[in-house]
Amino acid sequence: MAIAPDKTVLVIGGGISGITAALETAEAGTKAVIVERNPYLGGRVAQLYRYFPKLCPPYCGLELNFRRIKENPSISYYTMAEVEDISGSAGDFTVRVRQKARYVNEKCTACGACVEACPVERPNDFNFGMDTTKAIYLPHDLAFPMRYVVDSNHCKGKSCGKCVEACKYGAIDLDMQDKTVEIKAGAIVYATGWNPYDATRMDNLSFGRVKNVITNMMMERLSAQNGPTGGKIIRPSDGKEVQNIAFVQCAGSRDENHLNYCSAICCMASMKQATYIREKNPDSRVTIFYIDLRTPGKYEDFYRKVQADENIRFVKGKVAKIEEDPETGNVLVTAEDVANLKKITEEFEMVVLATGMEPQARSQGLPGNVNTEENGFIMADGLPSGIFATGVATRPLDVNTSNQDATAKAIKCLQTLVGGR
Amino acid sequence: MSEERVLSPDIQFIKELRAVGGETVKKCYQCATCGVVCPMAGDERPFPRKEMIMGQLGLKDQLIVDPDIWYCHNCNDCSKYCPRGARPGDVLGALRAKSIQEFAIPKFMGQIVTNPKMTIVALAIPLVIFLVLLGLTGHLRIPEGEIVYSKFFPIPYIEILFMSLVGLAGIAYIVSLKRFWDGITAANGKNYIKRFDDALLETILEFLPHRKFTKCETNADRKNAHFLVFYGFVGLFITTLWITFYYYVFKIHSPIALSDPMKWFANISALSLLVGILMVISNRAKDKGVNSKTSSFDMTFIVIVLLLAITGILTELIRLMGIAGLAYPMYLIHLTFVFYTIVYFPYSKLAHMGYRALAITYAKMTGRDIE
Repeated sequence: MAIAPDKTVLVIGGGISGITAALETAEAGTKAVIVERNPYLGGRVAQLYRYFPKLCPPYCGLELNFRRIKENPSISYYTMAEVEDISGSAGDFTVRVRQKARYVNEKCTACGACVEACPVERPNDFNFGMDTTKAIYLPHDLAFPMRYVVDSNHCKGKSCGKCVEACKYGAIDLDMQDKTVEIKAGAIVYATGWNPYDATRMDNLSFGRVKNVITNMMMERLSAQNGPTGGKIIRPSDGKEVQNIAFVQCAGSRDENHLNYCSAICCMASMKQATYIREKNPDSRVTIFYIDLRTPGKYEDFYRKVQADENIRFVKGKVAKIEEDPETGNVLVTAEDVANLKKITEEFEMVVLATGMEPQARSQGLPGNVNTEENGFIMADGLPSGIFATGVATRPLDVNTSNQDATAKAIKCLQTLVGGR
Repeated sequence: MSEERVLSPDIQFIKELRAVGGETVKKCYQCATCGVVCPMAGDERPFPRKEMIMGQLGLKDQLIVDPDIWYCHNCNDCSKYCPRGARPGDVLGALRAKSIQEFAIPKFMGQIVTNPKMTIVALAIPLVIFLVLLGLTGHLRIPEGEIVYSKFFPIPYIEILFMSLVGLAGIAYIVSLKRFWDGITAANGKNYIKRFDDALLETILEFLPHRKFTKCETNADRKNAHFLVFYGFVGLFITTLWITFYYYVFKIHSPIALSDPMKWFANISALSLLVGILMVISNRAKDKGVNSKTSSFDMTFIVIVLLLAITGILTELIRLMGIAGLAYPMYLIHLTFVFYTIVYFPYSKLAHMGYRALAITYAKMTGRDIE
């Protein structure tokens, strides 16, 4: 049975899971549309410095995917767009999508002249506020689409207009309006992903009060060449190169007061990040405080490799108190060293909280009528026919498993389109 | 750990621990948050994480002689921060109940009073004794005329009955505490840096202003509640002596005029007890998970004390209103709760007083106490 060429799969979310689901269905002969909220595709993966366990750069794989998107006329995507409404049934959905004005059109060459002209700064959310951009900015160095965007919350608008004058290509249109489009789709995939859990909610871990306490996602940006420090691991309070760092595992995860599940990736992520600092600052020392280390299957090999490094120490015992030494800006970390039956307080130059993944449904809600379980993950059981969910929208997953899951859900979409189910 | 040790789990003990308020013990996954957030736990061998795993393993022999369970003042910071809802504070409370039950003699008394399911039996015993006594002596009826409780239950009966039973209970308590002391010192060593009497005096002086309790920062109301309950009881104890003094020395008989300083003192003490126990209840209600704990050892005693205070105040008020048909039965009910509180004290929550004092004394003697 062939798939009618007008059949479309609509994917909500343009992170790694959504991109994979869209590519796999489109390359099997359907049309695919990605609806992405950010001004760029790639989602959380775009913010990572390295993948575990191979320690290769995630952007390598993302760029391959972007090329597949560019070369395939069957795939289209909307950035800065959110699904507002879903109606119809399997084989015949109508999806209303609202796309926010980008104020920059396709004529943009990413020359950057506008940035020099722009007088307004905004905190850079891509780098978790660790630096700023101008109100007109490129989301990040390798952003796809490679096009600038205006943050309307900070831009002074036409009364300023300096960027418009600076742009030789007529790419900036401060009159641009939000628009609403309706898309017909045969099947829908939720690939709505996750947000880092708000670390300020763990009051005893002092994030936001002690300057040199950061999150694991911030550590990715600190390590990345296109990050706020150009890849130097230096601490926020005084820019000092970090030589003595601690990782706090289960910061919010496996905790019924916060995220009542294991986020699945944080143990591997912290060990991976331990290798970042060991590589960049060769004399550095790392301490990882954990409840138990979860490195299933082949990941155990990576754990052994990290464990073999004499400068990386593992302490069994969850950190439950973090304070600041106001003199030095150092961070005082208290835990019970379970193996030695001692309550210990140690001093570190910087502390990384291994914060977990909170599903989008829980942080900001989801469009349409989907059932989630108590933690906000979408349950396959509760979904209407023709609607699927993949990736971290369904459960905490690493990238590898997300891709496998997205491919599996692509098959489900194809079955729906073929059978009209 | 190089030395080999054989653990002998006591499954029955786990069941009993869970029955007296420690039902969440198995939820613990040993993250060790509790010992860090606990303001009472020191740096060496902190609690309550180790008690939680010992509880899961049913290591009864070690747990009942573990002085650490008595350093816990039930601030419940541990339970607040516990990621699994394992409620270490409740589990330690249940362990204290088990320890009291283990050391208290005679053993059957410990089992009746510490087991919340036996509370009805524990209350029925004095009531039956009273009814039999009053029935046999022909007092089981509502007396005529002005309400004077001794017309219904003559003072000498009360004196003899209570004095003899409290005397027995006191002896039993002292023996129990001795057994407890021998247990903890045998299990945890006798490397003393301080004399017993010095350490005990220090413990008492520290207790009177509730200095240790003040460390419960996030739960400061608990200190005030305990303070009122404790001094309410002290006041009522003094009242009892006072009234005995009036009766035998000055031949002043109840009811005593409301203007009398003794009456003032008594009423203030009773109100302190009532307000204190209501604060205890409200503090526990604010604390999440109160529903799961209503069957516990602590909760049983809290309810008893509340009823003790309420029936005591009602006994006085109804007498003043002159409703004889209600006043005498209320007095009888009140006496039942008085009996529970003072005759059962070696086996009830009140017993913690001596056990905790000894455990903290031991901590001071061995240098484990943290300031």
